[in-house]
Amino acid sequence: MSAEETQTATLEKEEETQGTEKKEEALPIVRYRKVSKSFGENQVLKEVDFDLMPGERVAIIGPSGSGKTTLARLLMTLEKPTSGTIEVDGRQLWHKEVKGKLVEANEKHLHEVRGDIGMVFQHFNLFPHMTILRNLTEAPVKVLGLSKEEARERAMGMLEKVGLTDKAKAYPANLSGGQQQRVAIARALVMRPKVMLFDEPTSALDPETVGEVLDVIKEIAAEGEMAMMLITHEMSFARDVSDRVAFFDEGCIQEQGPPSKLFVQPESERLQSFLSRFNLGEENSQ
Amino acid sequence: MAWDWEFTINEVLPQLMEVVYITISATLVAYLVAMVWGLVLAFARRSQFRPLSVAAYWFVQFIRTTPPLVQLFFIFYVLPRYGIALTPFVAGVLGLGIHYSTFLSEVYRAGIESVPKGQWEAATALNFSPVQKWKTIILPQAIRPVIPVMGNYLIVMFKETPILSAITLVELLGKAQIIGSETFRYVEPITLVGIFFLIMSYGASLLFQRLEMRLDLSKK
Ligand SMILES: Nc1ncnc2c1ncn2[C@@H]1O[C@H](COP(=O)(O)OP(=O)(O)OP(=O)(O)O)[C@@H](O)[C@H]1O
Ligand SMILES: [Mg+2]
Repeated sequence: MSAEETQTATLEKEEETQGTEKKEEALPIVRYRKVSKSFGENQVLKEVDFDLMPGERVAIIGPSGSGKTTLARLLMTLEKPTSGTIEVDGRQLWHKEVKGKLVEANEKHLHEVRGDIGMVFQHFNLFPHMTILRNLTEAPVKVLGLSKEEARERAMGMLEKVGLTDKAKAYPANLSGGQQQRVAIARALVMRPKVMLFDEPTSALDPETVGEVLDVIKEIAAEGEMAMMLITHEMSFARDVSDRVAFFDEGCIQEQGPPSKLFVQPESERLQSFLSRFNLGEENSQ
Repeated sequence: MAWDWEFTINEVLPQLMEVVYITISATLVAYLVAMVWGLVLAFARRSQFRPLSVAAYWFVQFIRTTPPLVQLFFIFYVLPRYGIALTPFVAGVLGLGIHYSTFLSEVYRAGIESVPKGQWEAATALNFSPVQKWKTIILPQAIRPVIPVMGNYLIVMFKETPILSAITLVELLGKAQIIGSETFRYVEPITLVGIFFLIMSYGASLLFQRLEMRLDLSKK
């Protein structure tokens, strides 16, 4: 089928652009190599190769069930790849090098590498038994070894950034969904990860609170310090914040490129039909 | 025979008061044993190491389905044959504690399973170590909803302490029986013991209600 041809064509093009623009500057902060993941018989990821450069913001779009969440969860070590390797800042994530051979990583190794990654979940997952402030200081104190005052300062600074300093003493149950998600973002940020994963951060929210969360993410993205992987169904948001958009379907990246290209002139039929479900076309074509 | 107030107040009450602390301390120590050993069993059941979780499973099944009295007799009368001689108090709290630990382990398990998966995942994403995860994220949330059930087991264990008189521990009921056999008056001592258990159980249940409400408030 022609889809296959288009796919290889896109991949070649992608290598070209990466070669000229980014490769000399820095090494990828995240590097998936031939990563596959199956749940029983169901192969969800099929030999995915995917790079994320330091500071780069990549939006991941694609139909439901295509494996986007799984891609992120493998990096967050919530799920283990069936085969393939993932490197984070030059270190193997799921493997350890012992005498030149790759062996399965233990929890200690995962703990070391995992510190570079942060994640924001669809359902926030705040700790309900802790105040907002405690949600933000617990890991910096226990995991990073910060003093209580340092952690508090850092947490309050981050709450200011997401506009919730007045909620420091509240419990998560008293916050709206949008506020909870902003706290969850702040909680991930206080750990100062090099890579942040957002898995549909607004899809569990009431429509009226979606905007406030997207604004916070846009602000963070504008700072441009962290690499970001944004899984989203908000196409205009993806277009606005990302340096690159990757279209995921059937367990692999079908097409990727800068948003100005991908949304305006999608090459594969699949992406075209996927995008036709969102009314982005008209705005973009001018 | 009519109720004799003088006998009740001057003889029965003081003698019973002498052993009240035995009933109470046996309950508390046995409960502590049950809480700690129950948690150990709950962890063992969850272990990835199959032999451990299977062993824990059968231990729980076996203890739960045999009468506590049999277990007490075993600890008190059989173990000494193998060189383990325990005082009635120690044998009693171990027996009761281990018996109820199997029930508490199931309570813990239910509590742990009630913690949403997302909490584990958030804890992993923040890079908490496994021990920290349990201590600061999972157990506090697992225990909270099962506090009423745990409180209930404390009361059940308290009511079960007269069984300890079977291994010669002189607690409240045992003492009442001794008074009865010495004076041929059973009404007063036995009635007092009943009232005592009523007051203590009711008090404890009120206390747990309070505790439950306080923990609930802090959540809101
Ligand atoms: N833990 C699991 N056990 C079994 N199957 C799973 C598990 N997690 C995901 N899957 C399956 O893997 C496939 C991909 O799931 P994934 O959540 O990665 O998709 P997605 O692209 O994020 O979809 P959505 O847009 O709906 O979030 C689905 O078919 C899903 O049923
Ligand atoms: Mg998903």
